[in-house]
Amino acid sequence: MAKVHRARSTSPPDGGWGWMIVAGCFLVTICTRAVTRCISIFFVEFQTYFTQDYAQTAWIHSIVDCVTMLCAPLGSVVSNHLSCQVGIMLGGLLASTGLILGSFATSLKHLYLTLGVLTGLGFALCYSPAIAMVGKYFNRRKALAYGIAMSGSGIGTFILAPVVQLLIEQFSWRGALLILGGFVLNLCVCGALMRPITLEEDHTTPEQNHVCRTQKEGLKRVSLYSSLTKEWAQACLCCCLQQEYRFLLMSDFVVLAISILFMAYGCSPLFVYLVPYALSVGVSHQQAAFLMSILGVIDIIGNITFGWLTNRRCLKNYQYVCYLFAVGMDGLCYLCLPMLQSLPLLVPFSCTFGYFDGAYVTLIPVVTAEIVGTTSLSSALGVVYFLHAVPYLVSPPIAGWLVDTTGSYTAAFLLCGFSMIFSSVLLGFARLVKRMRKTQLQFIAKESDPKLQLWTNGAVAYSVTRELDQKHGESVATAVPGYSPT
Amino acid sequence: MRALSGRLGARAPTPRLLLLLQCLLATARPSSADDSAPDSTFTSPPVREEMLERYSNFSLESHNISLTEHSSMPVEKNITLERPSNVKLTCQFTTSGDLNAVNVTWKKEDELLENNYLVNATGSTLYTQYRFTIINSKQMGSYSCFFQEEKEQKGTFNFKVPELHGKNKPLISYVGDSTVLTCKCQNCVPLNWTWYRSNGSLQVPVGVQMNKYVINDTYANETKLKIKQLLEEDGGSYWCRALFQLGESEGHIELVVLSYLVPLKPFFAIVAEVVLLVAIILLCEKYTQKNKKHSDEGREFEQIEQLKSDDSNGIENNVPRLRKNESAGQ
Repeated sequence: MAKVHRARSTSPPDGGWGWMIVAGCFLVTICTRAVTRCISIFFVEFQTYFTQDYAQTAWIHSIVDCVTMLCAPLGSVVSNHLSCQVGIMLGGLLASTGLILGSFATSLKHLYLTLGVLTGLGFALCYSPAIAMVGKYFNRRKALAYGIAMSGSGIGTFILAPVVQLLIEQFSWRGALLILGGFVLNLCVCGALMRPITLEEDHTTPEQNHVCRTQKEGLKRVSLYSSLTKEWAQACLCCCLQQEYRFLLMSDFVVLAISILFMAYGCSPLFVYLVPYALSVGVSHQQAAFLMSILGVIDIIGNITFGWLTNRRCLKNYQYVCYLFAVGMDGLCYLCLPMLQSLPLLVPFSCTFGYFDGAYVTLIPVVTAEIVGTTSLSSALGVVYFLHAVPYLVSPPIAGWLVDTTGSYTAAFLLCGFSMIFSSVLLGFARLVKRMRKTQLQFIAKESDPKLQLWTNGAVAYSVTRELDQKHGESVATAVPGYSPT
Repeated sequence: MRALSGRLGARAPTPRLLLLLQCLLATARPSSADDSAPDSTFTSPPVREEMLERYSNFSLESHNISLTEHSSMPVEKNITLERPSNVKLTCQFTTSGDLNAVNVTWKKEDELLENNYLVNATGSTLYTQYRFTIINSKQMGSYSCFFQEEKEQKGTFNFKVPELHGKNKPLISYVGDSTVLTCKCQNCVPLNWTWYRSNGSLQVPVGVQMNKYVINDTYANETKLKIKQLLEEDGGSYWCRALFQLGESEGHIELVVLSYLVPLKPFFAIVAEVVLLVAIILLCEKYTQKNKKHSDEGREFEQIEQLKSDDSNGIENNVPRLRKNESAGQ
């Protein structure tokens, strides 16, 4: 008898090897986000060595951040087509090579290329696939898993900043970059941990797969007769990309994308302008630095606790609303900021803003997974982080220009606050519209053929046994209420 | 000789008048403050007008020390002075006893200053004021006011040139690389900067050999020494000296030159750890996959056996049994 090799498809384990994946993603966040933030510690050294001013050296940080976010879709494409393991290991090797080559740099331009572009590209190849992988392994405890994984950036910055300072003192910036390159090589370890898993959901959308496959086979036959393999390859690629990125046409995703643009515009200037604002209000240098530390530490707490909170039974079905709430609260904090003119008022502001900042960062992948499902999560996260890039790049200079022209920080903070509130209101509005449409559907369904109702009854029976945050199950279940499963 | 003592309590005379008075008094007797200097400023009357004009351009530095009869430790005040200036030092002494019984003296280091100070009394506080001009490094040092009752109370003003802050931590660089040594002076503008290198106890000035050393003084308050083509012998102590009108100040920087092998050791340690961990994790994955395959094959084998036994049991039971096995297998 022929041996049948069946791919074991399972439901998300919600534990077991999943926790190793969370640990791997935690390490990925440390090696990417925390290392990016620690690069700014090298700036003083670069300024003295290359005798350039602050603006020129600060470009390195902007380039790394920008390239990491812009190439995030590339990361998800590579991990989808090769494998998550290979993608992340490749990213780790690239990033490490960038840092090692940077340690031999003889001019600032070399650093832009090696430390900026190469390392940024390496980070991009690692970041979104790792986060998508966590989503595949967790279902019920998704928010908690993401909370732990994303807290890596805060904890990593906290630990890595003094370590990098120590390395620079012991080995000067060249040695420190070399050793940091070695540290970033640990991304390969994380990559090895990302064991692939095939989920049941991967087999539930066979129609598009089927269409693509028949198209491929038709074209294959054509290519046998003529050597138009290039056209076949192109058509195949188009078909594959179409299939992978079909979530881009979903209205839900478009709304999410627009709201993320506004949210990313609003959240970045605070980390740049909190210290100058505090100094302008009369706070001392050490107290301003203390404010930033509070922001960082409470960010970590917000990550983990909000993830745990939104996994509780009472909030499980309201993760979307929790995300809205967190973004809205951050916007409100921004609006209150121009009125806070002393240290005792700024400390609670730091705590609140930091907490909700950590909160919504945890929920971005959860909300994305809710909208696009787990198969396309990798590509969707690539697009989501890509959308972060341009606002991150553009927002601090615009805020700086506003501060320079108006002479105070009020206009800049108000703009950011309104941007974030608009982002959360947009999502809330879209949800309301969707709910109204569903009630209309209910109305129509009630008046249709009873046989059809029985048929949909069977579908409800089948899908209610699944977890409710599957897209199909949810929409069908809410469309036909009142039928109990047989 | 104490001048103008008593309870006049009036405003102090204007600076010019006071200086004129000082000059007149100084010409009457040799100056004790500048006894070593042949070019004492108070000697020749024809220079007086010139001096007065010159002095009026200088800024006035006023400093104050308060003492009480219960002050247990001597009070000190450090003053940083960069340019020649007129100086007014005031000490006030509060006591419950008789102010007339207090003996007031001024000293520079250990020499008694005989003139140029006023003593004034208001209520229970005794004020004394000493005015002078600092022109060069000889007038810098410590000036103290003494109030002698049963115990002696002392207040000291220490005049110093601005200090240069060298780095506490050594500067690290590598063989074949170039490095920049910086000396900065906050809020001060020296006249001149020089660099020295200490070889044991000897200080050797760092010459400007074109290929090796480049001194860059773009801003007046900082100096940069760039050393190219570093060798291990170039490590050691470097001194930057700032010259002011009122003296000199030194800063120290330690340079350590390492070879490239030094950071390579931790780097290779980390790379070895990464390779080891990756190998372990991938081997574990292969092992668990093999186990899964074996258990899969084992289960398939069992199913095949069951089908065979079903075949032998009879045809009626075949169909439902097969279906059940198939559904169980998926």
